[in-house]
Parts: sequence; structure tokens; C-alpha cells
Amino acid sequence: MSQQRYAIVLDTRKCLNCKACTVACKFENDVPVEDEAYRIWVTEMPLTGRFPYLHQEFQPSQCQHCENAPCEKVCPTRATFTTEAGAVLVDYDKCILCKACMVACPYDARFVSLEHKAVEKCTLCIHRLQEGREPACVETCPTKVRVFGDLNDPKSEVSRLLGSSNSYRLKPEKNTRPRLYYVT
Amino acid sequence: MFREQLQSVYQIHKNHSRDVHNLPFIWLGAVFLVLGLIGVLLVLFKGHEAVYGVSREVPWGLLIATYAYLVITSTGLAFIGGLGHAFGFEKFAKMNKRIVVLAFITLLAGFTQIGMELGHPFRLMYLFLLSPHFQAPIVWMGIFYSMELVILGVELYLIFRPGKTNRQLTAVFGFLALLVGVIATSNLGFVFGSINARPFYHGIYFPVFLVVSGIAAGAALLLVINNIVSGFKVREELQDSMQALGKLMGLGIGVMIFLYAWKLISSVYSEPEGMSQAALALISGPMALHFWIGEVGLALVLPLLLIVLCRGRNSAILGLSGLIYMLGLFFTRYDFVVAGQLPPMRPGFEGSGVDTVKGLVHYTPSPVEWMIFALGLGVFFFFYFLAERYLDLQT
Amino acid sequence: MMNSLKMNRRRFLGVSGGALAAATLGSGLGQLRAAKSEEDLSRFQKRGKKEYIASNCAMCVNKCGIIGEVIDGKLHKINPNPEHLKSRGMLCAKGNAGASLPYSPERLKKPLLRTGKRGEGKWKEISWEEAYRHVAQNLARLKQKYKNRSSVAFASTEGLQEEFFYYLVSGFGSLNTVRHPTLCLSTNIQGWSSVYGVYPDADLQNAEFVVMIGSDRAQSFITPDSVDFQRFKPKGQTLVYLDPRFTETAAKADKWFAVKPRTDMAFTLAMLYVILEEELYDKTFAKRELHGFERFREHVFANGYTPEWAESKCEIPADEIRWTARQFARHAPRSVIYPGRRSSFYAHEVYFRQTCAMLTAICGCWDVKGGIVPKSSVPLSSHTPLFPFFYDVKERVDKEAVGIVKKVVPSVVDCPLVGTGLPEDSCAFLSERDGSWITFREAVLHDEPYPVRGFVCFKQNPLQSVPNTAKTLQMLEKMEFICVIEQQMSDTAWYADLVLPHSTYLESWDPCHALSGIWPVVVARQPVIQPLFNTRTMFEISRGILTEMLKIPELWDDVEAEALEDFKKTVMQEILEQPIQKYMQHQLKDYPGGYERILEKGVLVPSQKPNYGKTRQNGFRFKTKTGKIELFNERFHKRGLDPMPSYCEPLRPQKEGEYRFLVGRTAWHTHSSTQNIPHLWEIMKENAVWINTAEAARLGIHDGQYCRVTSKVGQQTLKAYVTEKIRPDAVYYVNGWGRLSPGMSLVYKKGGSEAEILEDTMDSISGSAAMHETYVTIEKA
Ligand SMILES: Nc1nc2c(c(=O)[nH]1)N[C@H]1C(S)=C(S)[C@@H](COP(=O)(O)OP(=O)(O)OC[C@H]3O[C@@H](n4cnc5c(=O)[nH]c(N)nc54)[C@H](O)[C@@H]3O)O[C@H]1N2
Ligand SMILES: Nc1nc2c(c(=O)[nH]1)N[C@H]1C(S)=C(S)[C@@H](COP(=O)(O)OP(=O)(O)OC[C@H]3O[C@@H](n4cnc5c(=O)[nH]c(N)nc54)[C@H](O)[C@@H]3O)O[C@H]1N2
Ligand code: SF4
Ligand code: SF4
Ligand code: SF4
Ligand code: SF4
Ligand code: SF4
Ligand SMILES: [Mo]
Repeated sequence: MSQQRYAIVLDTRKCLNCKACTVACKFENDVPVEDEAYRIWVTEMPLTGRFPYLHQEFQPSQCQHCENAPCEKVCPTRATFTTEAGAVLVDYDKCILCKACMVACPYDARFVSLEHKAVEKCTLCIHRLQEGREPACVETCPTKVRVFGDLNDPKSEVSRLLGSSNSYRLKPEKNTRPRLYYVT
Repeated sequence: MFREQLQSVYQIHKNHSRDVHNLPFIWLGAVFLVLGLIGVLLVLFKGHEAVYGVSREVPWGLLIATYAYLVITSTGLAFIGGLGHAFGFEKFAKMNKRIVVLAFITLLAGFTQIGMELGHPFRLMYLFLLSPHFQAPIVWMGIFYSMELVILGVELYLIFRPGKTNRQLTAVFGFLALLVGVIATSNLGFVFGSINARPFYHGIYFPVFLVVSGIAAGAALLLVINNIVSGFKVREELQDSMQALGKLMGLGIGVMIFLYAWKLISSVYSEPEGMSQAALALISGPMALHFWIGEVGLALVLPLLLIVLCRGRNSAILGLSGLIYMLGLFFTRYDFVVAGQLPPMRPGFEGSGVDTVKGLVHYTPSPVEWMIFALGLGVFFFFYFLAERYLDLQT
Repeated sequence: MMNSLKMNRRRFLGVSGGALAAATLGSGLGQLRAAKSEEDLSRFQKRGKKEYIASNCAMCVNKCGIIGEVIDGKLHKINPNPEHLKSRGMLCAKGNAGASLPYSPERLKKPLLRTGKRGEGKWKEISWEEAYRHVAQNLARLKQKYKNRSSVAFASTEGLQEEFFYYLVSGFGSLNTVRHPTLCLSTNIQGWSSVYGVYPDADLQNAEFVVMIGSDRAQSFITPDSVDFQRFKPKGQTLVYLDPRFTETAAKADKWFAVKPRTDMAFTLAMLYVILEEELYDKTFAKRELHGFERFREHVFANGYTPEWAESKCEIPADEIRWTARQFARHAPRSVIYPGRRSSFYAHEVYFRQTCAMLTAICGCWDVKGGIVPKSSVPLSSHTPLFPFFYDVKERVDKEAVGIVKKVVPSVVDCPLVGTGLPEDSCAFLSERDGSWITFREAVLHDEPYPVRGFVCFKQNPLQSVPNTAKTLQMLEKMEFICVIEQQMSDTAWYADLVLPHSTYLESWDPCHALSGIWPVVVARQPVIQPLFNTRTMFEISRGILTEMLKIPELWDDVEAEALEDFKKTVMQEILEQPIQKYMQHQLKDYPGGYERILEKGVLVPSQKPNYGKTRQNGFRFKTKTGKIELFNERFHKRGLDPMPSYCEPLRPQKEGEYRFLVGRTAWHTHSSTQNIPHLWEIMKENAVWINTAEAARLGIHDGQYCRVTSKVGQQTLKAYVTEKIRPDAVYYVNGWGRLSPGMSLVYKKGGSEAEILEDTMDSISGSAAMHETYVTIEKA
């Protein structure tokens, strides 16, 4: 048992749709400028209402680091694996590019990387975590929509947020049990 | 000694008329092969991503469809072969050589498709040994299809082993080919059926449907090939086999219609999320033409109509119906692979990164994907008709 | 679509080994270090020698704190600096994208001398020495020819190196300088200063009730406001937002009012009316601090600025206005009517900004926590460069061009009050350094009062940032010499005779600069990476050009010998010929260890605590005529201007089918600077004109269809964005596309340019461009 259980808690009400997170991720992880190459996105949810009564939400998201990760299940070579603390990662050297994981991911979180010649996706910036630094998207956000932390630590900001607000996860019907929580 | 063996194996057939029918197909195969090899070079030099039409949203495209098309047909053939050998269906046993050669070559042709589809086919070979993940349906599919290839190889050996025939052994391997083939195909079905993310794929439908339609495909292909090699004058002694194949195919189509109907009805009834979008893409969406003309018209209605009209007796008409079915089945395979992925995993709103038209993502095979398909067809035509030309495939 | 443009896939990473610098930033995260028992994840590490270098962003005006992560000498990423008190540990999309700037294949690398016709794109690479000589000789030639140093104009926009541009300007002696404020915030400055003598900040972090009018804080980043107005939510702050468009800020607001363009003043006047009528104002404060309170109250009542009246103008329901006014008063002094920044909206704009300042004043929301607070600054030791007094120099062109400006301030402003805003100057309150871009250009075009034939431009792109590009091009055509100091081949650079490549902010030493505000800090820059090409900073360029100028006697024949010697000593020897680090050390000499700290941290934060109430102390004199907070403006009065804000009717469409054109930003770009940066370009590849759904239906325009947008001065073709997010009577698209320079290949001729269709209307009090006074028609292309 690892002492840690990673989670990201997002408060989309604070999201400005500024896309700092998406650009930061591309630099941090050498994701090229290319239409289909992105680990993180910010969706402009549909405008509701009619002029002049309008409402709009922005929904940033990325790989959900599912506890029950279908991408990992279907991966024939164990290229996709989960760390003890719960980061779902791809070992690029083991990926045969069968793309089953891409078809199996209910969040469209994965893509074929020309850099790695493998499927890639959000790594939770595992390399930064190892240095004690926050994920790039978390760090750069002007309004700190995302909070990263350890759910096993009751004093962590993520634990506190989840304990004090309503939260939901994306596509609960898929029973993937994401480690990304949205608070409302 | 070796020469003798060779001669006995490669009995060059005396009947000249057959050569006339083979040659154009060998040429056709050669042309396809050349096209295919150009495709392979393009993939090697430019990389998969640059030349294939598949995308982040539709990661599986034409090549997965053609792979399925070919390998499932192969296991369908193996199934029929198995019926002949292991279950004493003499009518099919009569065609055994042709069946095994066809199944083997079709399987190889199918492997070209997956080989070119995978980004790292060579990695696959050692990682399946070093780091297999037994929860992954693809692993089982891989294992069973590899077994199938070996079994068919043994069968080939048994068939062409000069002089000796061991009926028992042939029966055992015929049975194994049938069994493993069915398991392999239903596993291929489960590669799709296991995917919870794509409701149209998810469940037992495809494991079942692929097996049934594959058996029909085996029958259809045999009907076509027998007609071709005989110049649409199938020998008298094979007439009953042809009728049996016709019946098998008709039965297969009948079951397919039954499965289809319930699949589609349950897919659109009360609009289950993800499933109904895929089904509607077929019924009334961007794939409607494929669906109604290809899948329904060519793969179901026309062949069944022809079989019924000739009461399953006229070999030539059965051959025609087989041909139409095989054409239609291509759409069937393509459509299910693609349609299942058309409903996006995220709506195509601004900023989502997903580009949708009327709520669906889109996919069109690229020229190079077609070239790789040509490679598969090339392998099939070239080697099969070469075999027809240089080996005795009559039993 | 499958048109994945596979481009620019630069590899930032070397693969050589080397120890990992375990730099723990932000700290407190140490416990997140992956547990020992975890699988070996070191393969995910980035290998190479890592360095972290603190500096400050220059992708827009804010100068947020950055920490460059350099791996084996290459800039891998820019991280935010949590110690920067204004940016509060954030970095926007542009700030992040800055990391690719030095490596842009399209950046300028060598001085380029034009060889073909202007705008033809034929260049010759020359050495810096040749370039400096070329500039010096041309300045000398123009000075001799026109016997007037002001015959060369100098244009620039703020930035840490700008002060060295002014070394060049002052060393040459022209009075014709034009800066960005009259394109940006000068009406705001004039409006707020007319009441308080200063242009203050808003304490959004502590405000309870915020009225934001046409300041798109969620997209147009101003730090710390863009952070504060959301980050500390939810804590009960109410945000009321007025904008004819539903922007990202509107999406965050508690209430969005789709105000009719140019009528915000009706809204604020009615708020004033309600607060005065219902006596909700801060009576003690009014009595003690406000000059002209009674007269102002009379003015509001006499004119009948009731909410009902306002509703008929601004189309915001009277009840809502009343509600806003009461809430504003109820939460006072923690109520903010946000000063905003860009206010180059309308003619008559100063008066609108004045009403905002007045609302603040009567409710006593001045210089208190959660209210409007005058900016504090951190004093830096200044140098004392002695520039000569030149004889061959004439007064600014825009100051004397009253006649022309009367023609230019168009009939649009059918407001008598504005028409009289031109007593003796071209505009009532012309800033000496900033000038007035619109008037300046008009004067140059008319050679009035004298010819201007040289143009030196630093960090500004007037072809996209000054309304009416056709006129700016005409102005450039009049020039005998154009020198543009740039980073990329901007549109203006494309039409230059000589282009000097400036170093990027990531390769440059930039002097210290005090960022004033509620949380004042000092910033400076040091190279995050070594310069990649033979580019220079303005410090070096000014030194180079001035050195060459000193070799040309004709340039100094109208100067006293002694003054020349002083100049050589105090400017050249003591400043420009010294390392810039010395200059910086001098700036910080009152802060022991400050220089070292700024190199280490990128920022100097003298105090974490905001400073409230300085101006509330007894005896404080405001920089107004009376020394009090003025509701009756004595200076305006003296100038013959209306001393108090009166509503004036906006220009109406002249014919059927005209829409008012609006200007505004996106969070993904800065003005016309960043569109060619691939990481930003990919977010929005082309701009599109916003048009209301119903109007689009009427015109038969579909979403995504190309259409022509036509104004009196120009026409652009771009895609339509059909949306409910904009009023039916207005259209909008963002600045920065439809570029003239092929050197901006991603956006060259893509989409539409704003400046090409904007009419050059002006606010006569501040001299500011009025960018929202253009009416356009739209048709399918
Ligand atoms: N149509 C329209 N016009 C506008 C506005 C608008 O929204 N729409 N906004 C107005 C406002 S608020 C403002 S502040 C002005 C701004 O207008 P400008 O000051 O003209 O700003 P930019 O358009 O960003 O052009 C700045 C140029 O400086 C270059 N540059 C950037 N960094 C450096 C550097 O370090 N050194 C040098 N030498 N060059 C550098 C960039 O490449 C760019 O070409 O525009 C105003 N005009
Ligand atoms: N991302 C980004 N941030 C920036 C800059 C940038 O270029 N990009 N530039 C910086 C600079 S120099 C400046 S000056 C600031 C500018 O930032 P702001 O002062 O916020 O100015 P704009 O973004 O131009 O926003 C003007 C808003 O006013 C609305 N508007 C138009 N007409 C009217 C009207 O009649 N009434 C009302 N109520 N609203 C109206 C427009 O629709 C638009 O949304 O941003 C700074 N920050
Ligand atoms: S950086 Fe933060 S505010 Fe900006 S888009 Fe991402 S999540 Fe939203
Ligand atoms: S979001 Fe997708 S890629 Fe990420 S863990 Fe879940 S299934 Fe896998
Ligand atoms: S594409 Fe790679 S990571 Fe994905 S399932 Fe196949 S082998 Fe695993
Ligand atoms: S955690 Fe890292 S890899 Fe994942 S989306 Fe954020 S920046 Fe990208
Ligand atoms: S707001 Fe963005 S672009 Fe402007 S200084 Fe800050 S990080 Fe840089
Ligand atoms: Mo500005």
C-alpha cells in the first residue's frame, strides 16, 4: 500500500477558459502543436438561455486517472499501468500502438504521439511530482481551478475540498471511478 | 527424392481451361500486391500517422475492418472444413483441400492488415511473450488466431503430405481449426464487446454476430471460388456440396437478419446514449448509403433472394449470390467498426478538441489505407490462385 | 478535420545524462514526492542539466513573475513565480507560450536594410555597425534638411527597455513622440484624475460588490485583478458586468447586462441619481472630502437622470439599475466600480469614466479596503542623465494642430460639449510624452504645422493598433526614413527601411521597474537563456546609435558645447557605456541586497501588506485644482469644458443594416503581438466576426460562412460566428488577424484586421482614439 492516493479536485466555477493549462502542458510535456495532440482541454459548454439571459460553463479536463481504468484493462502488453499512488501511465517502450486503449477510454484522453511513437496522455506530470512540484496545469492556472493532492492525507487541500463540497465525477455510469473530482 | 516429392506435391493440372481462369486473378493479385507494397513503403517512410486517415477520435479504421473481414472469413472456412472432417459432413469434406488452402491464405491476408495497422508489429511479437496482459481481449484474440494459423498450417501439411493420409489426424485438426476459429472470432468480437466506452460495441452481440456472419462468409467464398475455378461450370460431383454451402450461407444470412433486427431495434429504442447515435449513423446518418445498399442490400437481401429464387440449386446463381454477399460483407465489417466510434467520447463543443458534424465525429479511409487493403487482397488473390494453378486443390 | 498541420515540433530536450536539480518550488509539496516503494518511475524524468532562472514576463503589459526552466541550455518551460505579489503565482496562456519565442523560425535575427520598394519584402542583411551608422546618418540628414529635430517622430509602447528608447529620443531631441496611451487608457486616466488627480486601482480581492463596465477581466488580463476577481470566490462577492457581449467575464458574473453600446453613462448617472435621491451616500465623507457636491447633486436632479430615463437609453431595466445602485451603496465602502484599463471606446468617454469615479466618491469607497485605492509605488533611485537643449526643434505637431483636429473629430460627435473640447490645444489634456496618435498622424499627413519625415518605432505596431490602417500607410509613405526596432517582422516592420532585431525578453537584461498598485513590487529581467542570435536590446541599440551620432558634427551644431560634454559624460560614459547591471544596481541602491534578491527571485516585494488610507489622512491634498475630490471639475470649467458629466446621445446608424463595431480581447493573445506563435495560434486559427443569431438569420449568414465587413474606411473578409452572445445592434471581432506582413506566416491575410476598418474618431479631452464609434455593414462574401 502506498501512503498516497493522488487526486485532482476541480472547481470549474472559477475557470476563465484562458487555456493557460493547455499551453503549459504542451511545453511541460513536449506535446507538439498539432490538432490531435493534447493531454488536456477546456471545453466551452453550450450556451444556455436566450439573449440577454445567458449562461455558460467552462469545463477543463484531462485523463481521469481512473481507478478502474478500461485503458489499462485492454492493453495487451501492460504498456498502460497504474502506479501505487494512482497515476495511470503508459510505458512508451511497451506500447505496440494497437490503439485499443484509445477506443476503450470513455474520455478521449489518449492520442498517438509522434514523439514517443506510442500512445500518450496526461501523466499527472509524474516527473514533477517526483521533484515535489505540482503538475504544470495546476501550477499555472490563474484562478487555481485545479487542486492536486493526496486523498490519504486528511489535511490535504483535496481532502478538505471533497469533504466540504458536493462533488461529481465524469461519466459515473462507466464505473471508471476517476481520480478527478469536480466540486460544485 | 526431393524432386519426386516436389512433383507429387506440385501436380500440374492438365486441364487447360483452369489456367485461363487462374491467370487473370494471379495478375490481379500481382497488381494489388504492387499497390500494397507501395503502401507499405509509404507507411515505412512517412509513418502511420502521416498517411492513415484514422484519428484520435476514430483510432480504428479501414484496416481493422479489413482485418476482421479476412480473418473472420478464414475462421468461417475453417468452421466449414471442420464440419466436413470432424463431424462427417461429407459434402464439405470433399472440398477440404480448397477450404484449408483458402482459410490459410485468407488468414495470412488478414494478418497483413493488422500487421500494418499496428504501430509496432515487431514489438508485439516479443511483448506478447514477455509482458502479456491476460485481462486484455487482444491478447486472447492474438493467441487464438496464432493457434489457428498453426493448426491450419498443420492441416496444410497433412493434406499435402505426399502419399500418406491420416484421416484421424485430419479430423482432429479439422475439429481444432473449427473450435479455435470460433473461439478466435468470438474473441475478436469481444475485443469490441469488452468496450464499455462504446455502447454500440459493448455486449455479446459482436462475438455472436461475427461468428455467424463468418460462417456464412466461408460458405460464400467457397461458392464463389468453386465457380471461378470451374468457369461457372461446377463439376457434377460438387453440386451437392454447393447446395449445402448455399443452404449454410442462407441459414447464416437468416440468423444475421434476426440478430440485426434486434440489435438495431434495441439500439434505437428509447435512444440509449452512444448506442442510438451509432445505430442512427447507419440507418439515417452519414453511413446510411453503406448500410442500406452494402449491408442490407448486398449482404442480406440480394443473396438471400437469389438463393431462394434458385431454390438453392443453381451453382452459378449461388456463386453470384456468394459474390454479392462477400461484397456486402465488406460494408458490414467496415460499418460496424466505424459506426461504433462515431459517437464522440466528448461532445464536439468549442474547445473540446473534438470536431463533430451533427454530433458525430468523422472518418474517411486514406488512399494509403486502401493500398494496404490492396495488399491484403493481393496476398489473397495472388497466392490463392497461384495455389490453384500449381497445386491440385480438387480432392 | 483531418488537416493536422504537423508543424514546428521542436525538441527542447537533450538526452544527455546529468544530475537532476531537485528544485522544490512553491514548497509544501515535498510530501507529494513519490514514495520509495513506488515503481521506478525515473524513466519519466526529464534528463539533463536543469537550471531555474527568475525573471518577468513580457508577453503583455503585466510583467508577471516567471521562472524559466532551462535544460542543457535550452528553455524548456516557463513556470509561474509564486513570490510575485501581483501575478500571484499564475502564468496565462501567452506567458506560457513565451517559451517558444526565442526559437521562433520567423524571428528577426540580423539588421535588415530594405533593398526593394517599401513593402516589397526585399532585404539585405547588414552588420550592427552599419545599421547604427545608417540610423545616425539619416537622423543627421533629416535634421539638416528640415532644421527641425521634431521632423523625426518616435513611436513606442511601454516596456522595461522603453526608457532607453527615450535616451535615443532625448539624445536626438525630437519632441514628437507618440505612445500607446491614447490608444489605450488615456480617457480612463483623465476621467478618474478629473475627480482624484490620480488613476487608481480596485481592491478586487476584498470588495464585496463589484460593478465592472466594459472591462473583460477574465480575458483581458490585468494582474492581480484577473486572479482576484475569481480566485477568492466563493466568498460572497457579487459581480455585475456590463458589456454588449457575453464575454468570459459575463459568464463569471452574477448579473450580466447587455448594455447598449456607448450608453453606459446613462446607467452610472442613474445609479448616482438613485444614491443621491435615496440619500444612500456617505454623508460624512461627502461633506469632508468632496468639492462641488451640492452643485453636482443639483446637476443630476435637474437633468432628470432617473433609472426610467436611463432604461430608455441603455436598455437595462430601471429596476435593475435601482437594485445595482442600492447594493452598491449598501456594500460601501467595499464596493467597486471598476476603473478598467482600455477605455479608447468613445468620444465623450472621459465623462463616463468621471461618473465612475464619482460613484466611488459619494459612497466613500475611496482608499479603503475593498474599495478603490490609489496606487502605491516603490521608489527607485533614478539616474540623472543630462540631455542637451537643442535649438533646432519645434513644438509637437499634435499640440498645434487644432485646426486639423476640429476636422478630424468627426461629425459623429453630435455633442456640443465635446465639440468645445478644443480650446487651444488639439486636445484639452495632451500628455507631453504620449501625444495623441490620431491627431499626430493627421498633422503629419497634412504637413501641419511642419513636415515630419522620419519615423523610428520601438515595440509598437501602429499598422494594427492605430485605427484606419490606410491613413497610417499614407503617413508612412510620407517618411523619408523609417526604422523599426522589432522582434518579429510585424506589419510596421514590413514597411520599414531598416529593421533592427531586438532581443526577446528571455535573453535580455532589462532595468528595474516599479509596478505600482495596491501591492507594489519591483521587477527586472535577466537572461533566462543566452541570446541565440545577433540581436540587441534597446539599451545596446541606443548606445550604438548615439555613439555613431556623436561622430557626426552636424548633429550637435545647435547645442552648447558644455551641454554636449555633460551629455557625453552623464549619458554615455556613466550609463550607456557601463554594463546595464550597474544601472540596475544603482536603481536599487536604497535596498541593501535588493539587486541580489531580484536576480534570485525576479521580484522585490517590500511589503506583503496593502497600504490603505494614505489619502484619507487629515490635510492630504489631492492633485486636483482644489486639492479635494472634485465633483465639480475646476480645470474643465476653466477650459470651457462642461465641469460635470452630462449625458450625450450616441451616434446612430446612418443607414439601414449598420452595426456598431466593438473592440475587445481574447485571453489567448496580446494585441497584434502573439498571433504568429504556434501554441497560441492553434487555439484559434482565424478570427471570426460575432453576429447575433437573429441578425444572421435576417442576413442569411450561416455560422462559419465568410462575409465582408465594410466600414467607411475599409473592408475585411472573415468568417461569421453566429451567436447569442452579442447584441443584435453590434458586431465584433478580435484584433490581430488579417495581417499585412508575410513575415507573420500563420496569420498573413488570414481573418480580418480591426485597424483596417476602424474609423479614426477621437475623444477631444484626452486625445484618445475612440475605437467603438465605427458602424459597419455585413454581407455574405
Ligand atoms: N484595433 C485595435 N487597436 C488597438 C487595440 C485593440 O484592441 N484593437 N488596443 C489598443 C491598446 S489597449 C493598446 S495598449 C495598443 C497596443 O498596441 P501596440 O503597442 O502596437 O501593441 P502590439 O500590437 O502588441 O505591437 C507590439 C509590437 O512590439 C513587438 N515587440 C514585442 N516585444 C518586443 C520587444 O521586447 N522589443 C521590441 N523591439 N519589440 C517587441 C511585437 O512583436 C509587436 O509587433 O493597441 C491599441 N490599439
Ligand atoms: N489577454 C490579453 N490581456 C490583455 C491584453 C491583451 O492584449 N490580451 N492587453 C492588455 C491591455 S494593453 C489592456 S489596455 C487591457 C484591456 O482590457 P480591457 O480594459 O478589459 O479592454 P477590452 O478587452 O478591450 O474590453 C473591452 C470590453 O468592452 C466591451 N464593450 C464594447 N463597447 C462597450 C460599451 O459601450 N459598453 C460596455 N460596457 N462595454 C463595451 C467589449 O465588448 C469588450 O468586451 O488588457 C490587458 N490585458
Ligand atoms: S488555466 Fe485554469 S482558468 Fe485557465 S482554462 Fe485552465 S483551468 Fe480554466
Ligand atoms: S481517462 Fe481514459 S486514459 Fe485516463 S485512466 Fe481513464 S480510461 Fe485510462
Ligand atoms: S496502444 Fe499501446 S498503450 Fe494502448 S492498449 Fe495498445 S499497447 Fe497498450
Ligand atoms: S498533469 Fe501534467 S500531463 Fe497532465 S494535463 Fe496537467 S500538465 Fe498535462
Ligand atoms: S498576463 Fe500573461 S502575458 Fe501578461 S505578463 Fe502575465 S503571464 Fe505574461
Ligand atoms: Mo492597452
